[in-house]
Amino acid sequence: MMADRVILACTVIAAAVYLYATTLIPSLEIGDPLGPKAFPRLLGIGLLIAAGLLGLEMWKDRHEREPSAPAQARDLRFVWVLAAVTLWTGLYYALLQKLGYIVDSSLYLFALMSWFNRGKWIANAATAVLYSAFSYILFVKLDVNLPRGVEAVSWISDALIAVTNAVLGALKGLFGMIG
Amino acid sequence: METLTHIMNGFAVCLQPINLWYTFLGVFLGTIIGVLPGIGPSAGIALLIPVTYGMNPTSALIMMAGIYYGTKYGGSTTAILINTPGEAASVMTAIDGYQMAKKGRAGAALAISAVGSFIAGTLGVIGLTIFAIPLTSMALKFGPAEYFMLMFFAMTAVSTLAGRSPAKAMISTILGLMIATIGIDLQSGQPRYTMGIPELQDGVGFVIAVVGLFAIAEVFSTMEEITKGTRPEIIRLKGKLWFTREEWRRSIGPIWRGSIIGFIIGVLPGAGGTIASIMTYIWEKRLSKHPEEFGHGAIEGVAGPESANNSDTAGAMVPLLTLGIPGGGATAVMLGAFIMYGIQPGPLLFQNRPDLVWGLVDSMYVGNIMLLILNLPLIGLFVRLLYIPGGILMPLIMAISTIGIYAINGNPVELYIGLLFGVLGFIFRKVDIPVAPMVLSLVLGGMMEQSFRQAMTISGAHPKIFVGSTICVVLLALSILSVALPFLMPRLKAWREGSGGDAK
Repeated sequence: MMADRVILACTVIAAAVYLYATTLIPSLEIGDPLGPKAFPRLLGIGLLIAAGLLGLEMWKDRHEREPSAPAQARDLRFVWVLAAVTLWTGLYYALLQKLGYIVDSSLYLFALMSWFNRGKWIANAATAVLYSAFSYILFVKLDVNLPRGVEAVSWISDALIAVTNAVLGALKGLFGMIG
Repeated sequence: METLTHIMNGFAVCLQPINLWYTFLGVFLGTIIGVLPGIGPSAGIALLIPVTYGMNPTSALIMMAGIYYGTKYGGSTTAILINTPGEAASVMTAIDGYQMAKKGRAGAALAISAVGSFIAGTLGVIGLTIFAIPLTSMALKFGPAEYFMLMFFAMTAVSTLAGRSPAKAMISTILGLMIATIGIDLQSGQPRYTMGIPELQDGVGFVIAVVGLFAIAEVFSTMEEITKGTRPEIIRLKGKLWFTREEWRRSIGPIWRGSIIGFIIGVLPGAGGTIASIMTYIWEKRLSKHPEEFGHGAIEGVAGPESANNSDTAGAMVPLLTLGIPGGGATAVMLGAFIMYGIQPGPLLFQNRPDLVWGLVDSMYVGNIMLLILNLPLIGLFVRLLYIPGGILMPLIMAISTIGIYAINGNPVELYIGLLFGVLGFIFRKVDIPVAPMVLSLVLGGMMEQSFRQAMTISGAHPKIFVGSTICVVLLALSILSVALPFLMPRLKAWREGSGGDAK
């Protein structure tokens, strides 16, 4: 019920902010009788109606259901874990251009795996590095440009692609000879 | 006759080696995505959209459709072996499938799932082939007002059927529509709700939102399970991977009935594979001579729901292809993919690009055969995926999501937006707000506003246009009915029970 109350409050606030932001849209109503504000206004009102319906559902629940057992103490440990994972992911994104995809992803994955798959250091490190390297090669070959990073690390990406091209070239040559 | 020629030409398209390869890749990846509990068809398709940019649209869409129906095959494996649906629609398969596995009949449960899925999937595609043309002729009569009302109906249906609380689903739908209004207004050129952030001028990319809401949010949920130590045990696959003659005799009826129920529910917006499976399960339990066996390993409880959720995918393709309106989360992502290739599904697509439409539909026949082959002899390989520790898999899905978002525009700001949607999706799950309505309205929002404004321009800003034709009135009535139904049903049930009690 507490969660529902928070949702109700957030919904009303979101509707109010959205409706206020709608008034700030400059409108030039040429050839369009409604302009850019009309549909958003309907949505704002719709959200308020939805909040009203939620209030009604909460009221009905309170009257129709038996009083429930007191809520169990919630395990809040995961809230901290989630906050840390979110921050760590944010840091991963922030350093992506500088460290390059391969180094940044290897570090990001290794740290996460070390937390969630504890004690298996070698498997975690190998998976983190191999995944980063192979996915880099795969996506670069699919024309998806992933960041190479600053000069100090970009050689890793360049070397990896050079080795891949050499191996592919050798394989092509080999199959050409067989063919 | 012309249609028959188009259907045959569709086979010529889908049997080209390159398209056969993409069908295989799609159903193979679909099975993997279905088996892995951390990721479903919506996130799977969304993650692959950026990778397919350079591809021929027909091949790309064939592959994405393959992922969509392939996940339904894979989902049952996880449901049977670890009692967790690998994919939401397999939820009913877990009940009796897991009980069968505990009794050492996992092989029979997996085999009947694969065969049932194949029969239902193929029957579903036959249904799609038959119903597509009449629906497109009807859709040609649709103007902006009819389209607006159709989208309105799809959203009301999804809102009332997506979760336990219609109000929460409605909040999710409207928030999605609001997010869709962010960016430069196409008609007036005015920026709306961009908060001065240049990246928001083009609006919030739907791939970013879908990856966040489905993939990243699911990773957070699984990480929570790992932290709390609630990950389930896997039952080892032993014995022969086939069913007995008696088991087949008991399954054939549920497979047929499940196929029909699944297809009908698939065509209707909102309900989707999960509801199709639940309805079939309840139906089979009622029809059974041994209802007491349900919940303790009845093979009918596996065959029926598994068939229903497979024919549902073919049914869901009917409104997507003929009207251009998806009825749920995964088809909404498919529509997003169509739009990214500059293709608008709908009646005109059947006239202008019959090769694409029928190539796609016919590839589903081929894909179902491939899935049957993949899921019977090779099931052992897919089962190995369940042994990958969640602590390794989840970080990898986060990294794949990063590439999926980054590959769109190479813009790091979009990564943060995706992460924000991930946190939002996780919170939504925790407080029981369904995310599928938000994804549907995110994809349809722009079109819905355009239809609304076009209709109002035609009518000189008079809303009577929305009740100006029979189609509009019927759609409005259906929308009102879908909103009223959840409120009326309990009263109707109470009234019936009350009158039943009086009679006694």
